[in-house]
Amino acid sequence: MAERAGYTVTMFLIDVSASMGETRDVELPDAPNGDKRTIEMTNLEWSLQYVKLKIQEMIYNGRKTDQCGVILFGSEETENMIHDRDGGYDHVKEFIPICHPNAGTLAKLSTLKASTQTGDPVDAIIVGIETQDTYLAKKKTWTRKMVVLTDAQNPIETEDWEATAKKMSDLGIMLIVVGIDFDDENIEFEQEDKPHMKRINEQFFHEFASKLESAVVGNCEYVLDEVSRPDAKQVKSALMGHELRMGDPVNHPDEGIVLQVKASKCTALARPKSWKKFAKVQKKDKDGDATTLTQVDDNGVEKVLFSELNRRTEYYLDKDDDEEDAPKPAPADKDDDMDVDVDTQKDVDPDKINRLDKEDLIRGFKYGASFVPCPDGSFARLPTKKGIDICGFFPAKNFKREQAIGEVQYIWADPNSPANQVALSSIVKALCNRKRMAIARWVSKDGMDPKMGVLHPIEFDNVDCLLWVQMPFADDVRKYSFASLDNLISKNGEKITKHPYIPTNAQQDAMDNFVEAMDLMEAGEKDDDGNRLSWFDTRLSYNPAIHRTKQAQFHGAVVQDLNTHPLPPPHWELLKYFNPPRRTLKRAHSAIEDCKQSFNVKQVPKRVTRARKDGHVHTNDDDEMLLLDQLPKPTIKSSQPARSQTAFSQRTSLSPTSNKKQPAKKLDDDSETESEGEAEAMLLDETPAVATTKRAPPSDVDMLMTPARSVSPTPPEQEVDPGRVPGRIVGLTNPLVDFRRNLDAGDIVTKAVEDMGWAITEIINRPFSRRRTKEMIECLKAMRYTSKNEDEVDAWNNFLEDLRHTCVEEEPGNKDFWSQVQKVGREISLISHDETKLKAGKPQGVPESRAVDFIQS
Amino acid sequence: MAPYDEWNRVDDEEDDELQDTSFFESKKDVILFAIDCSISMLELHEDPKYEDVKTCHLFTALEAAMEISKRKVIVGPNDAVGIMLFNTTRKNDSGGQGADIKQNNFVYQPITTIDAPKVSELMKLLDDAREDPSSLRTTFPPLVGHRVPMGDVFTSCNWIMRDGAPKTASKRVFLITDVDDPNAGPGKERLMTSARTTLIDLTQAGIMVEPFFISTEDKPFDQTKFYSSVLLPNNVNDDEGDPSVLLESISITRIDDLLAQMKFREVPKRALFSIPLELASEFVIGVKGYGLVTEQKKGTYRYFVDVGHKMELAGSRTTYVDNIEEDEAMNDSIVYGMALGETLGAEEADDERDMSGTTRAVSAFSRVFFTQDEQKSFRTLGLEPRIKLLGFKDKTELSFEDNVKHSYFIYPDEMARILIRSYNLGLHVTNRLSQAYSGSKRTFSALIKSMAKKEKIGIALALMRRNSAPVFCALVPQEEKAEEGGWNEPAGIHIIPLPFADDIRAAPVQEGLRASDDLRDSALKWIDKLTVKNGSYPPDSYPNPALAYHNEQLEASAFRTDFNPEDFEDVTLPNTAAMHKRAGSLMKEWLSALRQDETANIVDLPDRGKKRKAVNSAQTEGEVRSFYEQGTLAKEFCRGHSLAVSGKKADLLDRVQEYLAAN
Repeated sequence: MAERAGYTVTMFLIDVSASMGETRDVELPDAPNGDKRTIEMTNLEWSLQYVKLKIQEMIYNGRKTDQCGVILFGSEETENMIHDRDGGYDHVKEFIPICHPNAGTLAKLSTLKASTQTGDPVDAIIVGIETQDTYLAKKKTWTRKMVVLTDAQNPIETEDWEATAKKMSDLGIMLIVVGIDFDDENIEFEQEDKPHMKRINEQFFHEFASKLESAVVGNCEYVLDEVSRPDAKQVKSALMGHELRMGDPVNHPDEGIVLQVKASKCTALARPKSWKKFAKVQKKDKDGDATTLTQVDDNGVEKVLFSELNRRTEYYLDKDDDEEDAPKPAPADKDDDMDVDVDTQKDVDPDKINRLDKEDLIRGFKYGASFVPCPDGSFARLPTKKGIDICGFFPAKNFKREQAIGEVQYIWADPNSPANQVALSSIVKALCNRKRMAIARWVSKDGMDPKMGVLHPIEFDNVDCLLWVQMPFADDVRKYSFASLDNLISKNGEKITKHPYIPTNAQQDAMDNFVEAMDLMEAGEKDDDGNRLSWFDTRLSYNPAIHRTKQAQFHGAVVQDLNTHPLPPPHWELLKYFNPPRRTLKRAHSAIEDCKQSFNVKQVPKRVTRARKDGHVHTNDDDEMLLLDQLPKPTIKSSQPARSQTAFSQRTSLSPTSNKKQPAKKLDDDSETESEGEAEAMLLDETPAVATTKRAPPSDVDMLMTPARSVSPTPPEQEVDPGRVPGRIVGLTNPLVDFRRNLDAGDIVTKAVEDMGWAITEIINRPFSRRRTKEMIECLKAMRYTSKNEDEVDAWNNFLEDLRHTCVEEEPGNKDFWSQVQKVGREISLISHDETKLKAGKPQGVPESRAVDFIQS
Repeated sequence: MAPYDEWNRVDDEEDDELQDTSFFESKKDVILFAIDCSISMLELHEDPKYEDVKTCHLFTALEAAMEISKRKVIVGPNDAVGIMLFNTTRKNDSGGQGADIKQNNFVYQPITTIDAPKVSELMKLLDDAREDPSSLRTTFPPLVGHRVPMGDVFTSCNWIMRDGAPKTASKRVFLITDVDDPNAGPGKERLMTSARTTLIDLTQAGIMVEPFFISTEDKPFDQTKFYSSVLLPNNVNDDEGDPSVLLESISITRIDDLLAQMKFREVPKRALFSIPLELASEFVIGVKGYGLVTEQKKGTYRYFVDVGHKMELAGSRTTYVDNIEEDEAMNDSIVYGMALGETLGAEEADDERDMSGTTRAVSAFSRVFFTQDEQKSFRTLGLEPRIKLLGFKDKTELSFEDNVKHSYFIYPDEMARILIRSYNLGLHVTNRLSQAYSGSKRTFSALIKSMAKKEKIGIALALMRRNSAPVFCALVPQEEKAEEGGWNEPAGIHIIPLPFADDIRAAPVQEGLRASDDLRDSALKWIDKLTVKNGSYPPDSYPNPALAYHNEQLEASAFRTDFNPEDFEDVTLPNTAAMHKRAGSLMKEWLSALRQDETANIVDLPDRGKKRKAVNSAQTEGEVRSFYEQGTLAKEFCRGHSLAVSGKKADLLDRVQEYLAAN
């Protein structure tokens, strides 16, 4: 931690002796089919990963003062500064001079191959010291590091090594020896049949390291694992000067209080490092045909060039100026698609756009449909004065923790001013003493927008300070109303105490036991005194997205091919809090089982496959769309406008025409407003109350649970496995049974009729529907009978017209089925006045003649 | 304020926060005010605010509609409103939205995007009515003798919405009336049925009705006469299958509350996510998540272009171009990798020096970049959206400093439409697995009760949305509690995202001088005086002044009126006058105790070694001023007052002078 970030030169000394060309099998992540996979690579290739990951880290951090150089030993050639000057030091080569690395550095390392020679690591160390020291001649304060990568298979000239060790200590060089197949207690590794020479050399490295101030010798495998361990960068935030004010020091100079304070971040949201976008570089010829740009490297291998992409924003005038209102054809499957991953980009028809020059554009705001010019992009700002003003105090117990909306800041007294320290301390102590917090207004710079927040006192071991967190303005708080979970009141105004929504005493007991059993307060590791600590500590919880992304980015930058070198799994440290501790789960096992039993949460999964809307549009939604479509498409059939009229004209019962709107709405309305979800909930709620109560005299509970009308949650073109589509009370497997059962059970007739119609249409539209023709005719009869007697005349008539249309005029249609319907004749046709006039009220339906004609046409 | 360019970025992987908001703001909200124009609504009474001014309920309702329009336009510039009056004999103009609606329903303003001229028109109407209170009666002659069937009102609303509101918008009708039994008399039963039926139609068209019933002492509003059998439970309290009946809160006992009540409902309730809450393996319920505290930012500026007769909004489109040919890369050809780092010219021994840093050469058959899906999976660690409970801890374990962003609020959902998707790209087929969890409410309710009783919080791992990253969070139960003002604190669980180790910064200051108990007690005195005993942080008392300042200018500019900064009142400023009055003398005492405090006057700071004169900037300005006049201390003064200390002495003096002039 004392180390200064950057200002470091790391020398990588890499053994490329012939022995480094020996190969090993390295485990890869399991293949998608679960098979174990391994890859054969040379020891050099394998251990180089460490160097590359370290270098990638420097590239990632992007500090210019984080530099490195690479020296090879055991190389064919000899090329180093000591040799040039004094000779000797053979087979040591300065491969990459000291610099801030980039992708080219990594590419160059990838070309390394084991040589036919042997090299001496101590030679390389001496060259490394010299090279580094020369480079840092005028940069005495820089940190010096050295990494030796070796299999220690070759003779080492150990004479006089103490002098080298002393020199390193004098220069403060930190040494890391990464040894291939070195024995290592950390991973309990001991190489079998270790050659004698290697054993001696390993001992030498350990002895050498012991003479240094800072040195480690580690097994390569262990080091590679450690390098992917998440490591939170310790950042000490800068101290920003501020004034903490109470009262008005200008007009009341003898009373107003001004303290000089410093603010620094206590928490700061870290995000995963962004990815760069790349694409193959395409070269366009005169005809506009693109070819991929390639280049041939030194070894004659053809390579494809990928270029980093830059963002460019274009402005255009959309001639179709009805920007948001234009009916969009696409969003069929977007309804609760949170990840608007297709991005906000509009598909622009190139013929329709007028590119605009950014210089011609005027900045402004929209005030509804009006344009308010504002060339600066911002109006005059509220004049404010930098500082933190305390507005008042309140008891800390009233603090609403959930309203804190931002990162936390420390507020320290000026470290150079005893008076300010004592002053702030007295306030902190007073607040702690009375368990109070302060309300404060924060302006970070003159003219910056103020923030409101609270100050929380904190007494550390040796210093007192305040913590600040931003709180919401009135504008930031949403007061949505939610139904009470406890107070269920019936239509008659009586409080309901027994209801499927209200937990019973037995259920509450089960939950109490569950909460008890899943307690984490003593579920962690033991401390030094053997007491169990609580499980989960924010200070040890690494952000998996950051570290996994980093791991992937590094890996991608370092390997030559992801196909042969797939990304290893995430480090276990990242996943350690992903599941409750095993001990706790074990202890809670029976409590969990009790809860499952007692609460009996039913899960109703339905696998649904649906075609995308851009495929083909089913016949029936075409019709349904129209009702809500304020701009009917030119293809409407003549009967449509009339129908939409009837849909809204007076009715005493629910006509299916209006019901027809549901699917259409579903398709078009992808808003997440509450209206949709709830109706579904009512409908699908499988509480016994709905199913068992009779239709006629509704009990309290029944009234409450009455599903009323429902919006179907699933679009009509869905196909389902057996059973029902959510939102439909008539299924496709056995519609007639469902239909009758629902009528018997007292569900709303309208819904049953509507869903029956839906089911029939759905079934006859499917392949091989012929074998169900008879069944469907029975369904039709039952539906008609119910419609006629239960005031659903319009529903039937509209449905039947639709059905004929679907069968006869749409593609693929089902003409065969319609002819079967025609065979049944008048008794299945539209319901006429004559059939309904016996009943009270206005006669409904169509003229008798129309009913007769309809079924024949 | 982010410039528009930044706003409109298509980057999908980096900023999930950004999407949070853009997802919502892209959505239009439409409100149709349906206002009763019956004689009772037009009856004049004394204005409660102004003396000798007559007003009527209709006036208040229209005024509220105007205020809501003005508020809405600023938050959602694309939002639309319309105003329909019923029980008036005024005829609709032919051709407009109201052309063929039911008789005695009049469309005063059809549904359109809120627009300055429209609002001005309404303002003018209201101004005229102020001058001549009877003018509303002449403008909208009430229907006498009978009333429009409510079924017709709902049907008219449906048609107006159908004609005027975009399909994807959230649509609501604000029904304002003081007549509790609109369709009394023979045939009431039938009319009630028809009202209920047409209301159901409205609901099915995705339109919510939010009733505002005006009740007065003379004329109490009895909902059981008519409305309790007509309104659907979910109309009243928009929650799924909500079994409770009419809430008191929508019955406005004082007409002045109308606007306040509308403000509560100004923004439609929208869920941010709908995901499973996994209490244990195979013990899962459905919840919906809401953002109850979200920073409301100033609107972002847009680009407009002059097309001659008017200004048009310029659309924008972001593309990605390569560095070499500057050609646009097709979306499906984009792959993801690490930044290549910058080239250091001289040391770079590479042949393609000019290109390294921007291009990477890859052999034709190997792959070094990741696809978008892979890249996303690195963020999510392959998790599906859900909140997974890990266990419980003591309430006190959630410390003040464990905060990085705003919280969320979850509420049980019996029928969460939780979809699990997988793409089959070649076939354009989306597989969905939709799940419902019946029994969620009782489970959730029991969970809250247990946690509250045992003073526990939950610890959970949450992936709230498919493209966000997993976070650990604290689950803080909230039991329901009725508050004054008709606002109920609902039952639910607050989800507080916890900082990761990566987010936690070390404390840079390890030691400091401490105050004596005497000085502490002296501070206690004025702190006590300035404490609101039962208070807390009151968000409602602090409207965002910078936002208001901006919006007032925007509004002034839209209405072509002047904005006078002098008239602007920033209510977030501390009330220093009152502070001095209450505690001034105690603060003075504390200051003088501080000045005499031994520790405070240490001049040799222990860890500095070097002696220097401490700037006692807790001193009064007057003393420092005298130091300044002596021509010393410029640098110390600057340091002490958080001014820059760089530059020559003259610069420092300038800075000091500026400071003193300004303060």
